[in-house]
Amino acid sequence: MTAGELTQDPASVSSEPAQSSSPVGRVAHVQHAAAKAHGNPEVLLGPLSSRALLRLDEALRLADASTGLTFSVYIGELREPVREDAEEMLFRLADPQHSVLVAVSPNQRVLEIVTGSVASTRILDRDCKLAALSMSAAFAGGDLGGGLVAGLAQLAEHAGRP
Amino acid sequence: MNQDFVRLILILIGIAIGTFLVISLFVFIGGSKNPKRYRPGRPFHFTPVWFLSAPEQQSRAGLTAPVHSTGRELQASSARPGRAARPAETGGASDRW
Repeated sequence: MTAGELTQDPASVSSEPAQSSSPVGRVAHVQHAAAKAHGNPEVLLGPLSSRALLRLDEALRLADASTGLTFSVYIGELREPVREDAEEMLFRLADPQHSVLVAVSPNQRVLEIVTGSVASTRILDRDCKLAALSMSAAFAGGDLGGGLVAGLAQLAEHAGRP
Repeated sequence: MNQDFVRLILILIGIAIGTFLVISLFVFIGGSKNPKRYRPGRPFHFTPVWFLSAPEQQSRAGLTAPVHSTGRELQASSARPGRAARPAETGGASDRW
């Protein structure tokens, strides 16, 4: 497989348009982050530019590698109550106790950072609040990608090494 | 003399209109390059995405295909999965802008 080639699970591919309220749906997997903007229509329809995707990719990998935790970023609508919705998303992950979810809803102007039970002992709530303030300041200026990257870096720094 | 004056006025007006058109063209081209820029308070249409950098972590979430990956690729899911159990306490923070 060459870089940038798109691979998809046949069972998960659907012709229906993507909707936030739909159940488990299409998943696109791109071999390399640099090729996302060229080969992955799912990401193209997303809220981030290709440059922001590259930066977010790097930030996620660095955060995961340096902390041993699993960082995840969701950008989309959140159902009310948004906090519970974000928590439910966290528990969809394989190891929620060691996971951190950053959920952003640009249209609702809501940001939720959810840490699992183990992750919350390494990233305290006040650290999350500081990161959230930094991120929301960037979001208010229209910089979704920059805010996410800065927030992930802050969270990873507070988490420290495993 | 009078004809020269009219010609000069026309030239100046033509330069002004030409400059306006060129600048307008640049603005239009520049704006159409990045149509999905987020502006707070304005409707922002996009496909919801969920990113993880550890594909092997997604197996339980039903987020990913059987991945033969190195675990270093960014994953994107266009659709949100359903609800899940909440077995433990969580921490974190919330904010609005």
